[in-house]
Amino acid sequence: MKTKTIFSSIYIAVFRGVLLVASMSATSQLYAAEEWPTDDIRLVVPYSAGGTTDVLSRKVADLLQQQGLGNVIVENRPGAGSTMATGRLARGGRGSDHTILMASPGHAIGAAIYPGLRYDPVEDFTFIQNIIDIPNVMVVPADSPYDSVEAFVEAARKNEMTFSSSGVGSSIHMSGELFKNLTKTNLTHVPYRGSGEALPALLSGDVDVSFDNMPAVLSHIKSDGLKALAVTTPERSKYLPDVPTLQEVGKYNLDEFATSAWFGLITHNSFPQAGVDKLNAALEKVMQSEEFDSFISQLGAAPGKQSGEEFKAFIADEVARWKQTASEAGISN
Amino acid sequence: MEAFSEVLEIFLSLDNFVAIAVGVLVGVVIGAIPGLTATMAVALALPFTFSMEPITAILLLVGIYKGGMYGGSITAILIRTPGSPASACTLLDGYPLAQQGHAKKALKMALYASVIADFISNLALIFFAGYLAKIALNFGPPEFFWLICFSLTIIISVSGESVIKGLIAACLGIIVSTIGLDMVYGTQRLTFDNYNLMDSISFVPLLIGLFAIPEVIEFYVKKVVPHIKSKAEGAGLSLAEFKRSFGSIVRGSLFGVVIGAVPGTGATAAAFISYSDAKRRSPNKENFGKGEIEGVAASEAGNNGVAGATLIPLLSLGIPGDVITAIILGAFMIHGLTPGPLLFQENLPLIYALFIGIMLSSIVLFVVGNVAIKYFSMIADIPKSILLPIVLMFCVYGAYAVNNSTFDIGLMLVFGVMGFIFNRIGLPSAPFLIGFILGPMFEDNLRRSLLIGANELSIFVRGPITWFFIALTLASLLFAMRRYLITRKENNAST
Repeated sequence: MKTKTIFSSIYIAVFRGVLLVASMSATSQLYAAEEWPTDDIRLVVPYSAGGTTDVLSRKVADLLQQQGLGNVIVENRPGAGSTMATGRLARGGRGSDHTILMASPGHAIGAAIYPGLRYDPVEDFTFIQNIIDIPNVMVVPADSPYDSVEAFVEAARKNEMTFSSSGVGSSIHMSGELFKNLTKTNLTHVPYRGSGEALPALLSGDVDVSFDNMPAVLSHIKSDGLKALAVTTPERSKYLPDVPTLQEVGKYNLDEFATSAWFGLITHNSFPQAGVDKLNAALEKVMQSEEFDSFISQLGAAPGKQSGEEFKAFIADEVARWKQTASEAGISN
Repeated sequence: MEAFSEVLEIFLSLDNFVAIAVGVLVGVVIGAIPGLTATMAVALALPFTFSMEPITAILLLVGIYKGGMYGGSITAILIRTPGSPASACTLLDGYPLAQQGHAKKALKMALYASVIADFISNLALIFFAGYLAKIALNFGPPEFFWLICFSLTIIISVSGESVIKGLIAACLGIIVSTIGLDMVYGTQRLTFDNYNLMDSISFVPLLIGLFAIPEVIEFYVKKVVPHIKSKAEGAGLSLAEFKRSFGSIVRGSLFGVVIGAVPGTGATAAAFISYSDAKRRSPNKENFGKGEIEGVAASEAGNNGVAGATLIPLLSLGIPGDVITAIILGAFMIHGLTPGPLLFQENLPLIYALFIGIMLSSIVLFVVGNVAIKYFSMIADIPKSILLPIVLMFCVYGAYAVNNSTFDIGLMLVFGVMGFIFNRIGLPSAPFLIGFILGPMFEDNLRRSLLIGANELSIFVRGPITWFFIALTLASLLFAMRRYLITRKENNAST
């Protein structure tokens, strides 16, 4: 009997202890949440320095700092498309309550073409906000005989044609594959290593067409080095107001064609809600600033419109679509 | 005249001069630290340029780029650890010179060759940018394919004693370069499902492992002082030696200019091509690889000749030729400028101000380089038992820092052991490196040509540029063959 009392008093003591610890940690979490950020924020760029993702991230980090969020440190972690850095983010662990990542089409396409990913590109992440969308432009060399999408498609159904991209699994490549599947044309993919190598191939007429990102081709379109046949977004771009969208073509199954190079911030599921809220509030101010506006006009980009939830649903659609496109194109998975 | 005063207004600011001086200095120092490359320095400096004027920002980055190109040669010569990939070729003769006590001579020659090449490259940028950009556009996959074929023939001249061993090493390099995802189909090659290998082997860990680590291992295995016995003193560069090498410097600079203007080949290839050309022309062929001052000159001229010229496709077409110019492109965009055909129309005064700054940076490089030689050559006086652990530490850090990846440290150590074994069995490392760099370019351009030409072989002879490089490749092979036969005859006669 006595032992029983002792045990029960031990139980009670332990139970109280557990309660105390739990409540303490709850308070401290609450405290931490209110106080977020308590440390420097790390913005991971899943590509090496110098590309669009890097330049954008550094600008966003700079602007977020100006909003009083403390230090925002940009860290490049390139590897295996963007899947190395993303996989690491998915694992969470120490510091993940202050780590955000600049996701781009590679996030969805990587899931489609890299075999055996150890994370779910949708469910394993919290989506903060979509920041910008850069349209892809369907461009042909200046001396190309085709002046419209219709003329191009009709010719490409009869003859073998080529399209260039910055590499297997880039948004440029996948846009081309999608176009090929929808329009039933004879397009052969010619991969280059990076946009820097792909663009000369188009300028010199070695390849017939490309679906390159707006910033890379805009100045060549304006200086008549390239002809723009269409933009790939659902709406026309304000930078090329005379160029129709692919959807406007209205035939060859193109009425649902919509691709863009989108960029947005994602983080680990354990990221504190207060952090998400504060980042969203700061981003809203950043995106309304003139500095941001003039910066993205350099990229030929439109400001992102999607909130976290919409962004998540959008990525789920992207993953499904690119998986299908990749398997139809016979790209490995 | 109004335009001219506008240019001066943009350029004449204290900030610009400080940016050039700081840039070159930082570039030389970082370039000289093994594993810390100019690329990394430019990337790290980028955020600091946000608040600067556009011209100041670009000049700072270009300064770092140029300084880094030269800085890499300092440690290549002194401790056989190339600070940047492009200086791997410099160590072939620079390090033997240092071993023979001529470190100072080699360092001076590297500096002079770098500065002259830099100057020639800048002139090419300023006067022929438009013209060279047009030539660059005519370089499609078939033209590249033959350029790479020609470049592969330089394996023969950097093989040392035995061409067979050189070819074996080059083949091993090509095999290692195939690790990663297939360019066309995205299938895995030799990756064993390891994510770290899917982006192919990283260049810097391989480079450091191959050249620096064997020296460290050698020291601890033998427990004797390795080859470095140089004091920084010793004879400087004589005018006769400089005169003898001047032709090679100019030719090397021109190779650098052409290769730099064509996006996607890079300074490393330029250095090796220039080196191989100098060796072929030199009366002292046998001395190359054993400490020939002209070899140092040719290789440094080749890699610095690229520096100004890579800005040609960047400024005139908006196309970055290598990683560093990609970062500089980013800097332009952050400051609201888009390099490309429109830049020359819309921002001409800025471009001219930039040109003035770039010319000035060559002069600054000369001054900073001379100071750097004075202090860096003290490295040669540090006892090896202290120096080598420090080198090892930098190697580990450098391998890690490129991709922030611990896997790369392991990779570096693996290549280190491999380099050590290579040295022991007499396989030369330079052809391995060339195979590793040129292998993927060879394959990519072969496959691209076939894709574009719909498997018709006629695409490989489609124009004058292809004919030119086919002729050059054949000539290079015939020349090597003839030399081989002559040497064999001489050997037979003497036995």
